[in-house]
Amino acid sequence: MARSLTQTGTGPLVRPSRGIGLGRLRGLGGYLYVIPALAYIALTMLYPVYENLRMSVHDVNVRTFLAGDWPFVGLDNYRTLVDDPVFRKALSVSLIFTGGSLLVQFTLGFALALFFVRPFPGNGLLRALLLLAWMLPTVVSGSLFRWSLDGDYGIVNAGLEAVGLLDSGRFWLIDPDTALLGTIIANIWVGIPFNMVLLLAGLQNIPATLYEAASVDGANAWQRFRSLTLPLMRPVALSVLLLGLIYTFKVFDLIYVMTGGGPVDATSVLPIYTYQLSFEFFRFGQGAAAATLLLIGLVGFAIAYLWLSRREEIA
Amino acid sequence: MQRRTERSEQRVEQRTEQRTEQRTEQRAEQRPQDQPGATTPTVNRRTLLKAAGAGAAGVALAGAAGARPTRARQGGTTIRWWDYYNEGANNTAMQAQLQRYMDSHPGIVVERTTIPFADLKQKLLQGATAGELPDVAVIDNPDHQAFAALGVLEDLTERVTSWGQAASYFEGPWNSTTFEGKNYGIPDNSNCLVLWINTAIAGAAEVVPPTNWDELRAAAKALTAGDQYGLAVSGVKSEEGTFQWLPFLWETGADIPTIDSEGGRAALQLWVDLVAERSMSQGILGWTQQDVLTQFQNGKAAMMLNGPWQIPVLKQDSPDLQWQVTTIPVQAQGASILGGENYSIVAGGPNVDAAWELLTWTQQPENLKQYLSEAGKLPSRQDLAEDPYWTGDPVLRVFVEQLKVARPRAYGPSYPEISNAIQEAIQAAVSGQADVASALARAQATITPLLPSS
Repeated sequence: MARSLTQTGTGPLVRPSRGIGLGRLRGLGGYLYVIPALAYIALTMLYPVYENLRMSVHDVNVRTFLAGDWPFVGLDNYRTLVDDPVFRKALSVSLIFTGGSLLVQFTLGFALALFFVRPFPGNGLLRALLLLAWMLPTVVSGSLFRWSLDGDYGIVNAGLEAVGLLDSGRFWLIDPDTALLGTIIANIWVGIPFNMVLLLAGLQNIPATLYEAASVDGANAWQRFRSLTLPLMRPVALSVLLLGLIYTFKVFDLIYVMTGGGPVDATSVLPIYTYQLSFEFFRFGQGAAAATLLLIGLVGFAIAYLWLSRREEIA
Repeated sequence: MQRRTERSEQRVEQRTEQRTEQRTEQRAEQRPQDQPGATTPTVNRRTLLKAAGAGAAGVALAGAAGARPTRARQGGTTIRWWDYYNEGANNTAMQAQLQRYMDSHPGIVVERTTIPFADLKQKLLQGATAGELPDVAVIDNPDHQAFAALGVLEDLTERVTSWGQAASYFEGPWNSTTFEGKNYGIPDNSNCLVLWINTAIAGAAEVVPPTNWDELRAAAKALTAGDQYGLAVSGVKSEEGTFQWLPFLWETGADIPTIDSEGGRAALQLWVDLVAERSMSQGILGWTQQDVLTQFQNGKAAMMLNGPWQIPVLKQDSPDLQWQVTTIPVQAQGASILGGENYSIVAGGPNVDAAWELLTWTQQPENLKQYLSEAGKLPSRQDLAEDPYWTGDPVLRVFVEQLKVARPRAYGPSYPEISNAIQEAIQAAVSGQADVASALARAQATITPLLPSS
C-alpha cells in the first residue's frame, strides 16, 4: 500500500538516465522526513546495542573498565556464560517463569474478557478496578505480594489455615520449592488486566451479526465459541501472547522487589542475573554478553511475531 | 549499607526541591523587568497573579536558602560533592557541616548533590566514563576498594603521610580506605552491629543479656513464645545478609578465605539451629535490617542484631519501647562488622587540593565531634571515641566498645561476588536446601579464586 502511493506520486518523473532531476530530488525529499526518526533510533537504540555488542567481545572488568584498552577476547564471554551452570539455571528459571505466567494470565484474561464482553450493570466499574493491578507501580505490587506470602503474617497463610488447607506457617518466598511459584503468581496478577483489555477489544470487534447467524443455524454456545470466537480471535490472541512473552521474559523489578533472585538462585531470572553480573560483580563483558543473548532471544520472538502476523494478514 | 527503600523514596523529594529552587531563581530574576507593569494603577488579574507568584518565589527562596548551600558565588573554587545522605539527621548534619566550612572559608563553594544509595555506584561508573565526576564522593566502605581498583579515586598516600594523623584512626575503618598499600580516602563515620534487647520482655522472662553463644541460644529460646520470636537477624539475599552473618564467622576465629572450616560451619550452624529451634523465624531470609527493626518495634522479636542508625528511629517512632544494647555474644573471640562511609577524592579533578583541605578540616576533632553528634554517628577516630559524649552515654558506649573489634570487609575488588556466594550459602543452609557443610564447600569453591592473590 505504502509502496504504491510513492510510486504514483513520483513515478513518472523518476528516470535513472536523467541523473539528478527534479523528481529524484523530490524522492530524496521523502527520505529527508525520515532522517529525524532514523537518527533518533540510531542514537537511542542502535548505538547502545552496538556498544553492548562491542563490550561483549572484550574483557571488560573492574580493572579494565576505565582504562579503555579492553582486551579483545572473541566469544570467550559467551562461552563462559554457556558453560556456567548459574547462567543455565537462570535460563531455565526464566523459561518456567515466562511459560507459567503466560499460560495462566492468558487463560484467565481470556475468560475475563468473555465475561466482560456482555453488558451488565457495573461492567465498566469492575473493569476499571481490575485495571488497577496493571496501573500499580511494580514496587507496590511486589511489596504487596511479598507480605501477602510471608510465613509469619501473610494473608495467604491466614486464609489457607482458616479453611484447613495448611496447618503451620509456610514461607512461600523463602522456601526454594515455592519461591518461583510465588513470583509467578504475582506476575500473573499483574498481567491479567493487560491480557483482558486487549482480548476484550478483539472480542468487541467480532460483528454480532455472525453470532446471530450462527444461532439461527442452531449452533449452541460451545459451538459458537469453537467455530466463531476462537478462529476470529487468532490474530489478536497471537499478538497478546507474543507481547506478553516479550514483556514477561524481561521482568526484573517485580522479582527484585519480592526475592532479589533468592532464596539462593531460585528466582534468579536472566535479567536479574545480567544485572548482577554488570552492576554487582562489575563483570561488564560477561554482563554485556548475557544482555546480548537476552536481546537475541527477544528479537527472535519479535521476528516470529512479525512473520506470524504477516501470514495472518495474507490468509 | 542501610535502608535502601527509604532512600529511593527520598530521592523524589530532593529532586523536586532542586527543581523548585531553579524555577524560583528564574522568577526572581524576572521580577525587575516586571516592575513597569506593576506600577500601572489598575490592578487586574494578571498583575495580581504576578504578585502572588513573586511572593511564593520569595518564600520558596527563603526556604531553599536555608536548605542547601549550592548557590555558586563568583570567583571562588567550587567543590562538587556527592553523597547518599538524603534523609533525616544524616542529611541535615552533612548540610550543616558543609555550610560551616563555607562560612569559615569565603571563596569556596561546596556544591552538594545527594544521590540514592542504590544509584550511587552506577552514577559513579557512568560519571567516570563520561568524565563527569564530583570532586568528593562519599562511598559505602565495602565498595571503597572496588572503586580504587577501577581507578576512579585519587591516590592520597603522600598527602596522608604528610598529614600524619593516620594513627589516630581505628584500624578497621582506616584499612577500608586503603587498597594495595595505598590510601584512597579518609573514614567519615563508622557503625557496627550490636545485640538489642527488649528489656520489658526479657525482664518478664528473667533473661539476662547473653554473653556467649550458648547463652544466646538459651536466651533466644526462653524469649520465644506464641508469635514472638527470641531473635531477629537479616539473612536477605543482599549485602545486608552478609553484613549480619560475618560477625559470627569472625567470632569463631575463621575468616572469609577459610569459610569452609570448623569455625565457618559452627557460625552457619548457629543460624540454622536458631531457625530449627524456632527461636528465629525462617522469614529472616527475606528480612532487610529495616524489617528486623519492625519486628523488634512490634514486640515480635525480643532481641535483634542492628546498627546505631536505628537509635533515632526507635527513639522517635517507639518512645515507649524499653530496650538496651549489648555487645554481640562471643565465641572464641569478640567481633562485629564495620559499616560506615568513607570520604574519597576523585582522581585527576581540578580541585584535588581544595577537596583535600576540606576533608582534613572535617577531621579536626572539634569539627568532627559536632558533625558526628548531630548526625548520630560513631567516630572512626580513637581520640574522639574517648570523648565523654560517647563514653558517657549508656547506649553509645556499647557501640564504641563494640567498634574496637569491628572488622572491615576488605577482601579486594571482587568483594561483591564473594558476598553473593556467602548469601547463597546462608540461604541454602537456613532454608534447608543444602546442609551446612556442602553449602560452605560450595561457597569456598566460588570465593577462593576471587580473593586478591597477595
